[in-house]
Amino acid sequence: MTRARHPGLADIIASCRPHRPAKPNLLKTLLTIQQALGYVPIAAVPQVAQVLGVTEADVAGVLSYYPDIRTETPGRHVIRICMGESCMANRCPAVFRAVRDYLDHGIGEADPRSRFTVEAVYCMGNCALSPTVAVDQDIYGRVEPERIPSLMEPYR
Amino acid sequence: MTIARLYLSDDTSSRAAGAGRLAEYLRARADVQLIRTSTRGAFFLEPMIERDSPAGRVVWCNVTLNDLPNVIAGTGGRPVDTIPYLAQQSRATFANFGITEPLALDEYQSRGGFKGLEAALALAPPAIIEELKVSRLRGRGGAAFPVWSKWQAASHTAADDKYVVVNADEGDAGTYCDRMVMEGDPFRLLEGMLICAHAIGATKGYLYCRQEYPAAARAMRNAIRKAEEAELLEVNGRTFPIEVVMGAGSYVCGEETALLESLEGRRGVVRAKPPYPAVSGLYEKPTIVSNVLTFATLPNILARGGAWHASLGTEGSRGTIALQIGGRVKQAGLVEIPFGITLRRALDQFGGGMAPGSQFKAVQVGGPLGSLFPESRLDIPICYEAFAEAGAILGHGGIVVFDQETDMVALARHFMAFTADESCGKCTPCRIGSVRGREILDLVQGGCGTADDLALLADLAETMKVTSLCALGGRAPYPVLTAIEHFSEEFNNRLKLTGGQADR
Repeated sequence: MTRARHPGLADIIASCRPHRPAKPNLLKTLLTIQQALGYVPIAAVPQVAQVLGVTEADVAGVLSYYPDIRTETPGRHVIRICMGESCMANRCPAVFRAVRDYLDHGIGEADPRSRFTVEAVYCMGNCALSPTVAVDQDIYGRVEPERIPSLMEPYR
Repeated sequence: MTIARLYLSDDTSSRAAGAGRLAEYLRARADVQLIRTSTRGAFFLEPMIERDSPAGRVVWCNVTLNDLPNVIAGTGGRPVDTIPYLAQQSRATFANFGITEPLALDEYQSRGGFKGLEAALALAPPAIIEELKVSRLRGRGGAAFPVWSKWQAASHTAADDKYVVVNADEGDAGTYCDRMVMEGDPFRLLEGMLICAHAIGATKGYLYCRQEYPAAARAMRNAIRKAEEAELLEVNGRTFPIEVVMGAGSYVCGEETALLESLEGRRGVVRAKPPYPAVSGLYEKPTIVSNVLTFATLPNILARGGAWHASLGTEGSRGTIALQIGGRVKQAGLVEIPFGITLRRALDQFGGGMAPGSQFKAVQVGGPLGSLFPESRLDIPICYEAFAEAGAILGHGGIVVFDQETDMVALARHFMAFTADESCGKCTPCRIGSVRGREILDLVQGGCGTADDLALLADLAETMKVTSLCALGGRAPYPVLTAIEHFSEEFNNRLKLTGGQADR
């Protein structure tokens, strides 16, 4: 089934097979899959294990360890809100609430969550311009909660 | 038509401040030549636009689209040198910032770039290590270990392969100087890696970059490509390949042995030491793991001599420190000065005091594992020895100021929850202790905690400090305990009244 849904998956995994005598690099393999598909389908675990010659537990262990590896399709836009100390000092919880409110009420769509993935992250290195919000690759600093609707507008 | 040559930073934080929109507008103008530089690090003034004048650069600060006609006409603006925040710093590692184009190799070289490597090449490896010993450089990532000593161990260990690994997993919230180096002066980092590679006879370099820094990784990859083309990536007559490897959001991967595990593709779990990475590191080969800033400090040390570096700072902390001031201050940004200034002076002179409407409550130094300081403790000199004596850490130089609105109980809970989230799980005190610690603080925050709970927390904290395998578990109690120590009233006020029938 995975093969049918992700026709390229086998090739991606095969491309990550190490040249002997090097050992396979599981993290790199999973990140390569994520880069191609946007996430790592759980069903890919046995395939990765088989091709790289490791156990399924090895693969699942790495998969579950790293917060940035997703096992589900993300929304079309990923909103990241920083919860680091400098952003905490600058009232980031209010920014977080403003984003939630916007998605719940402001967007006027039945299921905004399918279009947006909201993540609380821990520091994007923009601490001198706290609070920080990133939408996809765009990073915004000095974000006041009132600015959220206009900031989000281009991504609707 | 006269063409105005304008300099605008392309740093991530400059873009977050709105530099991108300004660039879009300026690029469309036929009468403007736009140069994207690194940032000065005075982020409270960003976006800044500069232009040349006979007396040096002139700058317009906090520029909006409405200001651009003035900038293009050259009216207004002030000499960069007259900004006290910048004029009062002693920039060495960050000397090029705001001035050069990050990926212009010729510009880097014309401003003294690769002079350090040249000096290193003229020395035998033991003499390079001796120079480092004279410099008394200590690792800038947090552990502050003498750099020469690691190099000596790696150089004395015989092996077919040896590695140089840059720890670019700058995970401490409140810090961004490594990101600035990678985005803004990437050749300096490469030069530092090459100096280290010569000293220990390394065969390959890695840069482990956190996933949150895509622009930094891009800049480093481009710089590596340019250095390759210029045939600069060579050690002992052999090609010295450098690979950029991305992390995946795990804070503990900033710990050197967890980083090596992650680099090998496994779960980023801490290894027991010894053996130290300098003897047995990546793939069990001698490996130097150091922070970005440590490598970026090396070119100046070799070019100007170890004695120059040792002449700056305090007895146990030589050279300069890159402070990254943030939180509720007026002037947030990067400050490079010799060690030794007091915390109070750093906050006043550079931080510029509190943001409008804010009153000082506490400051955290050294990232999420750093201690909190109340107003009464601000006269501590910023150097490793004074901080060690106070049971605190300088960490990676992050300084975050909290104001009167900060709920100390909630903040303490936030710190413990962070450790519980990020613990790698290898050692019990950190894995279990951080979860129990968070639970206790949940109780206190919810008004259900007792004095006994706080006593239990103190006991647990002591166990974590003494028995954890790495600094994550070992340091996690400090921000919590200092919050309780200095703001005990806030904690006590939240406790449930105990004894009798009152709480039934």
